[in-house]
Amino acid sequence: MKTLKARATSRPSPDAVVAIATAAAPSQPPAQLPQDRPTTLNVRLRESSVAAITARAKERGMTLKQVVCHALAEAGVKVADADLEDRTPRRRG
Amino acid sequence: MTVLTIASSKGGPGKTTVCQALGGTLAGELRLVALDADPTQALARWAGGAYEGPPFKTIAEPDETRLAHLIAAQADEADLVLVDTAGFGNRAATVAMTSADAVIVPTLAGEADVTEAEKTVRLVEGLARAARREIPVRVLLNRVRRTTLARHAASELEAAGLPRLSAALSDLVAYGEMTYSGRLPAGGQSAAEVAALIAELRALGWVPAAGLHPHVEA
Repeated sequence: MKTLKARATSRPSPDAVVAIATAAAPSQPPAQLPQDRPTTLNVRLRESSVAAITARAKERGMTLKQVVCHALAEAGVKVADADLEDRTPRRRG
Repeated sequence: MTVLTIASSKGGPGKTTVCQALGGTLAGELRLVALDADPTQALARWAGGAYEGPPFKTIAEPDETRLAHLIAAQADEADLVLVDTAGFGNRAATVAMTSADAVIVPTLAGEADVTEAEKTVRLVEGLARAARREIPVRVLLNRVRRTTLARHAASELEAAGLPRLSAALSDLVAYGEMTYSGRLPAGGQSAAEVAALIAELRALGWVPAAGLHPHVEA
């Protein structure tokens, strides 16, 4: 004989609520994404290094920051996607 | 005691306005706690700033795991836990709906609003099945005008088989003013509409009777 479970009447435990909600709607994003705020990194380099990075940036149509960040990313450093993009403010018109 | 979640997968149908109207009106009658699961914290900001009525406890928490624990803890202490959610599909809103004893889905009359209201109702129904418990849900028409559009929206909700509250909130300046002045509608049509909404929620058993626990926690 089949065992038929009675419907629950009380609210599930908090952990069960999270598990049910996650299973029922797995594609839902968090309400608030973790913030990854911009900050500053100043680096002193030899003029020749800056000239080389500048030349590479010109060659690839990138910013200096992009050249450095792309190289770091290729070396396996976890660079944020936003830092791989050209986000230079540009004048309109 | 009762957890009442206000949810919609669309932004702008008046979830926070409904929370403000219910919270401000019921705060003097019940032990009320409002949980703000919307990262914009519009309800928490209003309750802690502009709001001038009887104080009620408000906690902002958009993280779904912490929210689930918070709802359970507050439900043990308060007569009514009101949960405001963000206007897009997100985990905190889903947790708030799963934890709820009832869900109100405010909607405007536009096609996209009614479509998202239906999606939200279906999500609540799915969550209720997954949780193996009843989670009653009703749509609340908001910013209603006496127009063909409003009548059409109501008929669309009916055609989709969506349960609807008889009460509705009209497109009145008083609700917008409330968000700045912090004062609940004291008279006229807006006050009557909020009273009718609360009366209907009490009749459904979604809001406890007044005066059971006159203690109000700030």
